[in-house]
Amino acid sequence: MSERSIIDQLDDAVAALTEGRQPDLTNVGSELSALVEVAQDLVGLPREAFRTELQQQLTRRDSMSSAAPQPETNPVRSMSIYICVANASAAIDFYRAAFGAKELWRLVEPGGKIGHAEVQIGNTSFMLSDEYPDYNTLSPETIGGSSVKLHLDVADVDAFAEHAIKAGATLVRPIADQFYGDRSGQLADPFGYTWIVSTHIKDVPVEEMQKELDKWAQEEAAQSSSEDGYVKEPRLRRENRHAVTPYLTVRQPAELIDFVTQAFGAIEHFRTTGPAGGMHAEVSIGDSVVMIGGAEHIEPKPAAIHLYVPDVDQAYERALQAGAKSLMPVQDQPYGERSGGVEDVHGNRWYIATPFVPLQTIAQDLHTVTVYFHPIGAQRFIDFVSNAFGGKELMRHAEDEMIMHAKVQIGDSVIELGEARYPTQPLPTAIYLYVNDVDTMYEHALKAGGTAMQPPADQVYGDRTAWIKDPFDNVWYVAAPVAKR
Amino acid sequence: MDLTQATESEERLLIEAAQKDPSRFGELYEQHFHRVYAYVARRVRDRAEVQDLTAQVFHRALANLGKFKWRGSPFAAWLYRIAANAIADQAKQKLRESTDQSNPSSHSSTATDLEIVERRARLFGAVDKLPEDQRRVILMRFAEEKNIREIAGELGRSEGAVKQLQFRALENLRNRLNEK
Repeated sequence: MSERSIIDQLDDAVAALTEGRQPDLTNVGSELSALVEVAQDLVGLPREAFRTELQQQLTRRDSMSSAAPQPETNPVRSMSIYICVANASAAIDFYRAAFGAKELWRLVEPGGKIGHAEVQIGNTSFMLSDEYPDYNTLSPETIGGSSVKLHLDVADVDAFAEHAIKAGATLVRPIADQFYGDRSGQLADPFGYTWIVSTHIKDVPVEEMQKELDKWAQEEAAQSSSEDGYVKEPRLRRENRHAVTPYLTVRQPAELIDFVTQAFGAIEHFRTTGPAGGMHAEVSIGDSVVMIGGAEHIEPKPAAIHLYVPDVDQAYERALQAGAKSLMPVQDQPYGERSGGVEDVHGNRWYIATPFVPLQTIAQDLHTVTVYFHPIGAQRFIDFVSNAFGGKELMRHAEDEMIMHAKVQIGDSVIELGEARYPTQPLPTAIYLYVNDVDTMYEHALKAGGTAMQPPADQVYGDRTAWIKDPFDNVWYVAAPVAKR
Repeated sequence: MDLTQATESEERLLIEAAQKDPSRFGELYEQHFHRVYAYVARRVRDRAEVQDLTAQVFHRALANLGKFKWRGSPFAAWLYRIAANAIADQAKQKLRESTDQSNPSSHSSTATDLEIVERRARLFGAVDKLPEDQRRVILMRFAEEKNIREIAGELGRSEGAVKQLQFRALENLRNRLNEK
């Protein structure tokens, strides 16, 4: 019996077989000879690249009608995707874990840099490499995004997306049934590419799809027109949200969406179910986004909003028609606006106002939806938002040292506040606060006297967030998009 | 999908689907690739030739798919016949082109011959189901024909670790073959 281990002996035999020699099987146990037999049958194993390329040749459109000769003398034989990523090796690992990709082969530089690799997902292979700036081969991270999206057709898009998110993908558009007959959504990979994932549900004729698209385009045009008197604004995208976005948490969020739509012409962007089982929706009113969420089992947190509209009388009337009760009839105010107040059935207070001068001349960053705070101790509140979030006081109006009204700039937004007094009692609320650096802001907020509710963490919906409660019971969801933090 | 697992009715559906929409041929291809490859490889030694003939078989099958009629004999039998013809055609061509007088191997397939082909096809299919690191070692060793040192370099692992993976992979493959 040889002293070499069975593992080495097996490799000797494999080496002989692959070089076309007979392995030496004298003095070899039955265990080893059974394995050598398997190895013998594996000699000549087909190459994966061959198998994949042949499949692509066979399923390409132009090879289907083999009877019809190509009109061109030099037809293109196939088309493939070639992507560049900042870390190709990590990307391959990610595509394997998230999408079940198989690596076909790679060419590696001595330093480990991948010059070229081929990877297969489903029945398609694609190529990728690391960055080569000298050859103008740049990744989305360097360029600042990619205009190319990749599309995956899968059997069960919900389960697929869930798995991919666990592996590190970020959901950028929720999975939903689409008018063109697919159920689909979009995932961002950690390397800057967007993957559309979908499952085909039903065939929709092209004419019908076109009709649906026409309908959508009409709705879009109607919503962005000035029918409700608001400034013409394209739909706000995530990047365009203002720093301070109120998060109206109520027990019946669907009804609140109906209310803001009827009363203030809000446009709903999407609604989905949040991690806590409640609804999460986003609407825009004028130039601002408002988040609306909650459920029966979630503690409500209504807000007071100073709502700057072009026609306060009309908005006030509509709000009453939509079920709100009046807090204050519309009248001209000595401080430069015509305003009235309502409270909706969910407890949100809407101070509806049309200023006598253009809004931006009052404060550059005053937006349609401006959160109004009624803290007990307005000075301490101003101190808190200054220390925690870098707030800057723009103006104050005080009577006998009591702050009746003040404006504080936070990021590209302005918040307003006045000392709590009858009838404007404290109304602790929730605010989504977009910042550049969640972790630093969180530290500052804690030092300034905030209480930690949830330390910074990446969320499945694509934001890194931290939750802080201020000394006035307001909850601040400090957030930044994960990719951009 | 396992090569041997498609039932007759499933296969029938796949064929009908591909006859209506040739882009669906990919599924039939996946099911039968290893069989055809193993069949050709049993008669032809050179890898480039095996690939060339395998490609020919599938291109012919796709072109003639409309003519395939379900008469109870499996689709694989039809593919084997195409393969046998393709091999014979090439052998004739070679004889004409060269003075090589060696007798082309017989193209009729005996029962044991097909059993060997099926067994090998099952083995090739089983490689796909190995754990990823084992699968890569087997592909590099037997399909890419690389030696242990080259594989170790490419995977960034020690030669001992690669040999160990090779050993585990062959054990797994043997167990899988014995299951049937």
